[in-house]
Amino acid sequence: MSLVTSMESISELAKSWDTHAVSPAENRYDIVVTRGNLLTIVAELLRTRWGFLTAITARDVSTASGSAPGKEGEIPADRHFEIYYHFCRGPAVLTLRLSLPHEKPSVPSICGILPSASIQERELAETFGIEVEGLPKAGRLFLSDDWPAGLYPLRKDTTPQSIRDFTAVAPPPPATVENDATPGKFTVPIGPQHPALKEPAHFELNVDGEIVTGVSLRLGYVHRGIEKAAEGRPWVQNLYLMERVCGICSHIHSMAYALGVETVAGIAAPPRAQAIRVLIAEMERIHSHLLWLGVAAHEAGFDTLFMYTWRDRETIMDLLEQVTGNRVNYSVNLLGGVKYDVDPSRADAIRRGLDRLEPRINHYLGIVTTDESFLRRTRGIGVFSTDQADFLGVVGPTLRASNVHRDVRVDAPYSAYRDFPVTPVYDDACDLAARVTVRVKELQESCRLVRAVLDALPPGDRAVDFPRRVPEGEAIIRVEAPRGELFYYVRSAGGISPDRVKIRTPSLANWAYVMSVAVGHKLADIPMIVVGIDPCFSCNDRTFLIRQGDRKGILGWDDLRRYAMQRYGRRAE
Amino acid sequence: MSTFLIIVTYLIFPGGLFVVAGGLVYEYADRKLVARFQNRVGPRWFQPLADFVKLLVKEEIVPAGVNAGLFVWLPVAALAAALAAALYVPMAGLRPSWSFNGDLIATVYLLMMMTLCIGVAGANTSDRFSLVGAVRALTQLFAYEAPFLLALLGPAILAGSWRISEINGYAQGHLWMIVTQPLGFLVALVGLMGKLELPPFDAPEAETEIVSGALTEYSGRGLAFFRLGRDIELFIGLTLISAFYLGGLANPLQFLVKTLVLLLVTAGLQSLFARLRIDQTVGLWWRIGALLALVQLLILVILKTSGVPL
Repeated sequence: MSLVTSMESISELAKSWDTHAVSPAENRYDIVVTRGNLLTIVAELLRTRWGFLTAITARDVSTASGSAPGKEGEIPADRHFEIYYHFCRGPAVLTLRLSLPHEKPSVPSICGILPSASIQERELAETFGIEVEGLPKAGRLFLSDDWPAGLYPLRKDTTPQSIRDFTAVAPPPPATVENDATPGKFTVPIGPQHPALKEPAHFELNVDGEIVTGVSLRLGYVHRGIEKAAEGRPWVQNLYLMERVCGICSHIHSMAYALGVETVAGIAAPPRAQAIRVLIAEMERIHSHLLWLGVAAHEAGFDTLFMYTWRDRETIMDLLEQVTGNRVNYSVNLLGGVKYDVDPSRADAIRRGLDRLEPRINHYLGIVTTDESFLRRTRGIGVFSTDQADFLGVVGPTLRASNVHRDVRVDAPYSAYRDFPVTPVYDDACDLAARVTVRVKELQESCRLVRAVLDALPPGDRAVDFPRRVPEGEAIIRVEAPRGELFYYVRSAGGISPDRVKIRTPSLANWAYVMSVAVGHKLADIPMIVVGIDPCFSCNDRTFLIRQGDRKGILGWDDLRRYAMQRYGRRAE
Repeated sequence: MSTFLIIVTYLIFPGGLFVVAGGLVYEYADRKLVARFQNRVGPRWFQPLADFVKLLVKEEIVPAGVNAGLFVWLPVAALAAALAAALYVPMAGLRPSWSFNGDLIATVYLLMMMTLCIGVAGANTSDRFSLVGAVRALTQLFAYEAPFLLALLGPAILAGSWRISEINGYAQGHLWMIVTQPLGFLVALVGLMGKLELPPFDAPEAETEIVSGALTEYSGRGLAFFRLGRDIELFIGLTLISAFYLGGLANPLQFLVKTLVLLLVTAGLQSLFARLRIDQTVGLWWRIGALLALVQLLILVILKTSGVPL
């Protein structure tokens, strides 16, 4: 799938649809669509397997310049919504651009064609208040249950003040829609607090004995409104905000953001900075995959492997700390470069660490591929066919274990991956065992890459100067995070802060896998299947908590004490 | 026996305090060993006792929708059954306090009470994790119980007695039965692990699926009793298997060495495997466990009737 053939195929398709197509960048094509032909075009794209749907971005185009949120009551006449459907094929990105009026915006749902799109469409409906026609009715997915109805956080006129005004007179939030679990069934709830989950999410599993007959999902327990927050902060501050999207893969988020902003500004980081970014990204992948291996082993009740992998993970954590001073949020990226250099002594320390780590990783590969008791919990479980995985747009190791040859580092090399090519790992077994194997083999590959980068670190500066204001423009950045393809849409209106930052995290794309394979499996397999995508909830939920009625504000110590005495008073007497 | 001696037997030695202390010590040894195998530090020596005391002082919450009587008394019944079983077993290598013809069967049933109580306790609450856990615990009970009993039957047939003390005496005077009946030993040891829901047979309390299984709703005293009961079962189970298969228990030193070696083996087995799903557990027991135990028994019966000295 070369870039040229992909781009040619788009222009041919565009001709056949009789639409207006422009190419804003070398690897991009934009096609303006209407409500009328959206479904036809999406269906055609998916039928011909042109590519996969990677993200749906919405924008509230408030003002002509679009930068500052319009003052209240002062909505410009040309205000409208834009929705972008981003399809990817190899390095090429095709964006279907749809404009919607500001009054009662509605769009037909594409989930009839592509079921996995429903999660992103629900996000659209909740955060922008755009009605998605044909979306199955379900409770909220991301926003908290006490978020007032009719208030849409990502609209430009939603500001802290407008939220206060709204909630002062707002009707109470709608009664929580009961789970779509069928009544009369035995339902096992998993989460939001449950030992199987390291982060909050909520699954309702209908079971018949030990067999799962239905699943429903609720996310958003750690939604922090990062996309909204980004619009109110300067470009540089957002770097630190993006780093906090995820606690495990913090570097890759700030890297994707930095690459996006640099693309919009037309400034490239120097080669040494690019190499260091890749170095840290690969070290982060080692840390993330080792962490995952431990969690997967724990879900399978194999605590010995869990303890050993986490012990060895300390090695890479210590190395990251040596280079950056931090174990988790490395804070390596700057707009226009990196903050830390890797000198020869640090490079040697990393090599020594890898000398220790590599034999361990090889040993773990032996365990996960030969240990009979572990294989009994992974082999033939959660089988997801190549065809399904490709169609539903699953990403990362989850996808590659289903033998779909897709890895952003290979297909569309970014940063220094052109100079340090990656040998991607695939597996044709399509089951959980394959997902484990692929990740452990990626560990080996990452170790090799780290060494390659250390051996050929380009000389030069760490960073270049970066302006405070970024010229108007937009960029789409795709990077390969440990969990799969991470998508960033960055748009500047020429101001000191972004106009829109859209993040589509790999975990969000991978829920389609969990939801489609869970039914029919045994209850005991579900934690394993969930962990098979290496879910990262803090990534995929990114809120505000508004209290209403008698639960005003934050409860202080005295309030808590009073509450406790009320609650237990009867018993105490 | 004087009344005083009977009271001592029940409350201090070998019943009561001694078994409780032994159970806690063996829990400590088990946890420490598994921790070391897993490259962890493990608990300090008094941790099991500290856990027990802490649970005793915690509030015991009786959830809505349960039969409160059952909820409170099931842990007591489970603990009492475990304590009673100790009286028929050669604790510390000494002669059991009570003995009658057929006490082996009685002891096996007393040991089974624990799982039964946990199953009923889980089914008593309306919590979904408890219900699933209870179903799994009882399913597992039906899986391992028959092979476990068959495995204890082998030594009884050789000794020609249903009395634990007589089997113990016979074992001391003959070749270790782990040599003559290796299959039986294997089934008995793994059966004990299944009984105690130790990994890899911990599907009934698999925390990543069903939190704490049948005991999810238990807190405070009830939980403390169930846990203590399980410790005591571990203690008694190890004693029983070493008395039968490891050449009998003649004195306290033999008792200590043999049971601790056995504990070392079970701790190793606990840290070696990934958890079995409940269907895999049942499959393992009925396809392999029961078969092995039956083959062992068949060999014994044939050898014994043909007059081969064992």
